[in-house]
Amino acid sequence: MTYITLKDVTFTYPGKTVPAVKNVSQHFNPGEQVAITGLNGSGKSTLARLMVGLLSAQSGIVHLQGKPVKQYSLAERGRKIGFVYQNPSQMLFNNTVFNEAAFGLKWRGVKKEEVMARCRELLQYFNLWHLREEFPFNLSEGQKQMLVLASILALKPDFLILDEPTKSIDTEGKKKLKEILLDIWRQGTGTIVISHDREFIQGLNRRSLHMIEGEVRENEGRREN
Amino acid sequence: MKVDVRTKMLVVVVFSLLALIYQNPRILGILLALNLLVLALFRVNFLLLRGFKGFVFMFSGLIVMQSFFVREGEPLWQVGEAVLLTTGGIYYGISILLRFLVLACSALLMAGCDPQELVLALVKMRVPYEVAFMIQLGIRFMPVMFEELQNIINSIQLRGVDMRKVYRRKILRFYTNLFSPLIYSVWQKTEKLAILLEMRGFRSSPERTYYRDIVLTRTDYLVMGVVLTSAFVFVFAVRGL
Repeated sequence: MTYITLKDVTFTYPGKTVPAVKNVSQHFNPGEQVAITGLNGSGKSTLARLMVGLLSAQSGIVHLQGKPVKQYSLAERGRKIGFVYQNPSQMLFNNTVFNEAAFGLKWRGVKKEEVMARCRELLQYFNLWHLREEFPFNLSEGQKQMLVLASILALKPDFLILDEPTKSIDTEGKKKLKEILLDIWRQGTGTIVISHDREFIQGLNRRSLHMIEGEVRENEGRREN
Repeated sequence: MKVDVRTKMLVVVVFSLLALIYQNPRILGILLALNLLVLALFRVNFLLLRGFKGFVFMFSGLIVMQSFFVREGEPLWQVGEAVLLTTGGIYYGISILLRFLVLACSALLMAGCDPQELVLALVKMRVPYEVAFMIQLGIRFMPVMFEELQNIINSIQLRGVDMRKVYRRKILRFYTNLFSPLIYSVWQKTEKLAILLEMRGFRSSPERTYYRDIVLTRTDYLVMGVVLTSAFVFVFAVRGL
């Protein structure tokens, strides 16, 4: 069964006449590795938000594991799909790096020892363990990005959607992020990476979608972008 | 009717003052009806009133709370010794609700105002420019703050935490998570904004000139006169109620 299904999805922002996403029909299978490319304003981020149900399509349907996405609460969707915003600062709301990574687990009633073990493992993997007592907003943009990713991976989602993850990361950071994303994918988590960084998505694009003015063209990414 | 910002301000002040003076629900009811009439005259979009929907629950709760604490009037609903609803409680609850509605509805008059005109109006009323500018910034950043709050709420839920379930549990700790990033980002934005303003020479010379100007027309004076006279007539008319 496909994991995320979009059928004839169209979305227009309030007050706009041109739709940001036009008649998009796609499905994403469990464990799939997809890259979505396109110019600024081509509708990539809108598409991602529609998939998670942060936006509601005016026409068409978005299904998650066979059920309309809106039938799940946002929390349930969050447990299934890890979504990383373009701006990682918008996803930080704890007083320390450790609490940030542990937030989802703590509120789900996971035992203290298990939270500790899982967060330590993740923060060490993301090279953030030594910063565990730091205030998250004081980290560099790249570190914030890694922290958000670690916090979301702590929940073990089935799918991961990253919206422009390389926006504020340097070359070294990009290399590291790419390795991590490949690692996550190999472990069975589906990844959808939205980016206009052609170099970055190479190797992360088993399937490549390209967006032009709200429409999706399959496998045309390399030529157009 | 197209009137100056200052005229609108006067209308808002008159309605707000009257709403604060009276407590009688009947008088406040008449005031609300007059207020809605004025909104219609000024062609305010009534769809904006939909924004008050969320307050309905709050005020229903308030009526019950008033019944708990205001021990006046006849008890209407009693469970054993505990009085849960009294006529006095309903009376105060309704008057608070009406008062809020009058205040909010009159403030709607300012909803369609151009923020720049508002600053100009304040400056013409001899409010220091810095203060007027602060008010403008406050209005300008309100939607941004709401958007940010919504973002944080979404992010928290995307971490698999169901807010409906949290409400019953450690609510205080949850709100720390909700508001601390908001306060932090507002503080950061303010700091950046202050630097940007200074870089563009904000208040570098004491005299400030304005490209746009606003003038009070005959209609404005007429409206102001009618509003003030009506207010006095209202005060005398409702004396017996």
